[in-house]
Amino acid sequence: MSWLHRSAAALVLLALWLVLALLLPNFVPGPVPVIGTMWGNIVSGEALEHLVPTLVRVGFGLSLTMVLGTLIGAVMGLSRVGELYLDSFVMVGLTVPAIVYGIICVIWLGVTDAAAVAAIGLAAFPAVAISVWKGIKGIDAELVAMGRAFRLSRREIVQKVIFPQLLPHMLAALRYALGICWKICTTVELIGMPNGVGYQLNFWFGLFSMEQVFAWTLLFLLVMFAIEYAAFKPIERHMTRWRGDAPLRLAV
Amino acid sequence: MSSISLRGVSKTFPRPDGTALDVLGGVSFEAPDGSFSAILGPSGCGKSTILGLIAGLDHPTSGAILVDGRPVTGAAPRIGLVFQRPRLLQWRRLGDNVMLPIEREYSRDERESRARRYLALVGLEGYEDYYPAQLSGGMQQRAAIARALAIEPDILLMDEPFSGLDEMTARRMREELVRVWRETGKTIVFVTHSIGEAVFLSQQVLMICAKPAAVRRTASIDLAYPRAYGDPAMFEIETGLTREFLAMTEKRTVSDG
Ligand SMILES: Nc1ncnc2c1ncn2[C@@H]1O[C@H](COP(=O)(O)OP(=O)(O)OP(=O)(O)O)[C@@H](O)[C@H]1O
Ligand SMILES: [Mg+2]
Repeated sequence: MSWLHRSAAALVLLALWLVLALLLPNFVPGPVPVIGTMWGNIVSGEALEHLVPTLVRVGFGLSLTMVLGTLIGAVMGLSRVGELYLDSFVMVGLTVPAIVYGIICVIWLGVTDAAAVAAIGLAAFPAVAISVWKGIKGIDAELVAMGRAFRLSRREIVQKVIFPQLLPHMLAALRYALGICWKICTTVELIGMPNGVGYQLNFWFGLFSMEQVFAWTLLFLLVMFAIEYAAFKPIERHMTRWRGDAPLRLAV
Repeated sequence: MSSISLRGVSKTFPRPDGTALDVLGGVSFEAPDGSFSAILGPSGCGKSTILGLIAGLDHPTSGAILVDGRPVTGAAPRIGLVFQRPRLLQWRRLGDNVMLPIEREYSRDERESRARRYLALVGLEGYEDYYPAQLSGGMQQRAAIARALAIEPDILLMDEPFSGLDEMTARRMREELVRVWRETGKTIVFVTHSIGEAVFLSQQVLMICAKPAAVRRTASIDLAYPRAYGDPAMFEIETGLTREFLAMTEKRTVSDG
C-alpha cells in the first residue's frame, strides 16, 4: 500500500517538473534531456568519478560528526556543569554558517579531503549533540529504577534499559546529520575541491549548462533515496515495530 | 528465608522550593520470615517510599532497614518488586519483559518456560509475543506481577498491584497470590488502599498515618487460609478496621487544620 502512495508522489513530482519545463523552457530543462544527460554521465564514467570522492567525504565527515556530537551530547546530558559550558558552545556551532567552516578548514588544511571531512564534521555535530542531549534528558528514570530493583548489572541497565531509549534519537540524529553533511560537502567542493559532485555543479554553472546542473542534482537525489530506502526506512520500521498498529494512541 | 525489619526509619525529601518535606517520621515494623503484611494508609503518606527503601532503591534519612538482620545492599536477597505502575519496557515483547531480570542466570529454555508459567498464572497465557502497547493497562499490570514472580524471590513487595483491575479479576488474582504465598513461603509486603483487600490477604495490617508517617497501629488478622469472600468474621474485622482508620485520618485532618 505505502509503496503505491510513494510511487504516486514521485509521479506527481515528475509531472510538476514536466509542466514547469513546458511553461518555462528557457529556465527549466525538461526531465527527458536531464535524465538523458545524467545517463550519459553515468555511461561515460564521469558520474562515478565524482560521486565516489563525494561519498567518501560525506562518509568520513558523517562518522566524525556522529562521534563528536554523541560525545558532546552525552557530556551535556550527564553533567549539569557540562550542560552549562557546552550549551552556548553548541548554539554558536549551530549558528555559524556552514560555509565559514568550509573556508576556515580549506585555509588551515589546504585543498585536501581532510579539509572537507573536518568542515563537515564541525558543521553538522551540533545537531547530533542536541539530539543526544535531549535523548539522555528524556530517559525514563522509573525504568532505570525498575532495572535496579531487579538487580540488573550496570552494564545490563545501559544495554537493555537505557540504550533502546536512546536509539530512536540516534537514528533521527544520523538522518538529519546525513542531510546536513551532503549540503556542506557540496559547498566545500564548490569552493575548493578538485573533484566531487559540488565541483561538477560549479563547473557546469560556469558554462551555464542548466541540463548538467539538473542532471547532477538528480543523481544526488537518487543516491539519497537509495540510502533512505535501503538503510533508514528498514531500520526505523524494525525499531518502531513495538508501537502497534494504531498510528497514535492518545489514551493512556 | 527472609525477614524484614524497619527501625525508626525516616525519610526527608527536598520540596521544589528547597525546604525539607518529612515524609516518613520513624516507621518501625517487623515482617517475619514467610509472613504476609499489608500496609494501609491514605494517599501520599509514603507507602511507595517505604517499599522503595526496602528494595534498596533509596536510603533512609535515618533509622535502619534490615533484611535477614543485615542492612539492604545492592546484592541483597532476591526481591521481587511490583511497582504502582507497570514499568514494562515498551520495546520488548511481554515474554521478554518477564525474562528481563533472569536473563543472566538461566538458559533460554528455562527462561521461556518460566515466562510462560508466570504469565499463565496471572491469566496471560498466549500473550508472550505481544508488545505492552497492545495490551490494556490491567493486563500490563498483571505482566508486571508475572515479572516479579518469575525471579522466584524470597521477598515480594507489591504496590497496589490490583487497584487497576475489575473486582472479579482482582479477586481471582488475590486468591492466586495467597496460593503462591502458601506454596512458596515468601515474605510479602503489600500496599493497598482497600481495607477489605488487606483483611482478605494479610496476617498483619500496618496502618500508617499521614505525613510524617509512622505505623499507628498493627492489627493482626487471625483467620485461617484460604479465606473466603463474604465470610462474616472477615467482614467484622473489616468494619472494625474501617472505623479505626476513619478515626485516625479524621483526627489527622482536624489537627492539620
Ligand atoms: N523522589 C521524591 N522527591 C520528592 N518528594 C517525593 C519523592 N518521592 C516521594 N515524594 C513525596 O513523598 C510523599 C509520599 O509519596 P509516596 O509515593 O510514597 O506516597 P504513597 O503513600 O505511595 O501514595 P499513593 O497511595 O497515592 O500512591 C509525597 O508527598 C511525595 O510528594
Ligand atoms: Mg504509592
